[in-house]
Amino acid sequence: MFEVGRVCLKTAGREAGKYCVIVKKMDESFVMVTGPKSLTRVKRRRCNINHLEPLTERIKIKSDASDGEVLKAYKEDSVFARLGLEKPKKAKKAEPEKPKEKKVKEVKVKKEKKVKHKKEEKKVKKPEKKKVKEKKAKKPEKRAKKKK
Amino acid sequence: MPRPALRSRTLRRVKKRLPGGAFIIHYLKRRPSPARCAVCGKKLHGVPRAKPSIIRRISKSKKAPSRPYGGNLCSSCAREKVKEKVR
Repeated sequence: MFEVGRVCLKTAGREAGKYCVIVKKMDESFVMVTGPKSLTRVKRRRCNINHLEPLTERIKIKSDASDGEVLKAYKEDSVFARLGLEKPKKAKKAEPEKPKEKKVKEVKVKKEKKVKHKKEEKKVKKPEKKKVKEKKAKKPEKRAKKKK
Repeated sequence: MPRPALRSRTLRRVKKRLPGGAFIIHYLKRRPSPARCAVCGKKLHGVPRAKPSIIRRISKSKKAPSRPYGGNLCSSCAREKVKEKVR
């Protein structure tokens, strides 16, 4: 069941529920596995067979194939559609950049406002602290009088 | 009468029997019940058993296992739940 090129489902750990491909057999119980990461977010790593659920799908790859070769094999075999995977998107850079700039400006303005508030608060607070100190200083005098 | 701090009902009271046969009251802090698996009811590992005020202080990665269904299902039940996706 666990040959090179077999598509599996990971059933344990943080990558549970994600698809991966067996790239290489390490020994009786361990296997080298990749998503690849750009496709299914499964890192290239060693994996115990007990933590894999083999599927009926299989891809034609050499043993110890690189992530790029696995991606190519995916495209040729059209396993994409059967597993319901989306092809790795190349980020759309042109569109989302414009709103980001606006947000940054707004944040800057907010920060400035906050700084002003803090300064005002500090001014208000300082005289209060002085008063408290004076009160504390007075108290011991009263106690001393009572003792007398 | 116990001292004033122990009179409040925020503390749990446990009767302990002494070797002479007399009973003593021990005052213990209340603890929430341990988190349990939603399917099989086992106690969950890796989920702290503490008051919400303490859990708020803990980092996110220490609150529950980072696997899918972590903190909700036990590991064996989560494994079967994941396999349902394929069948």
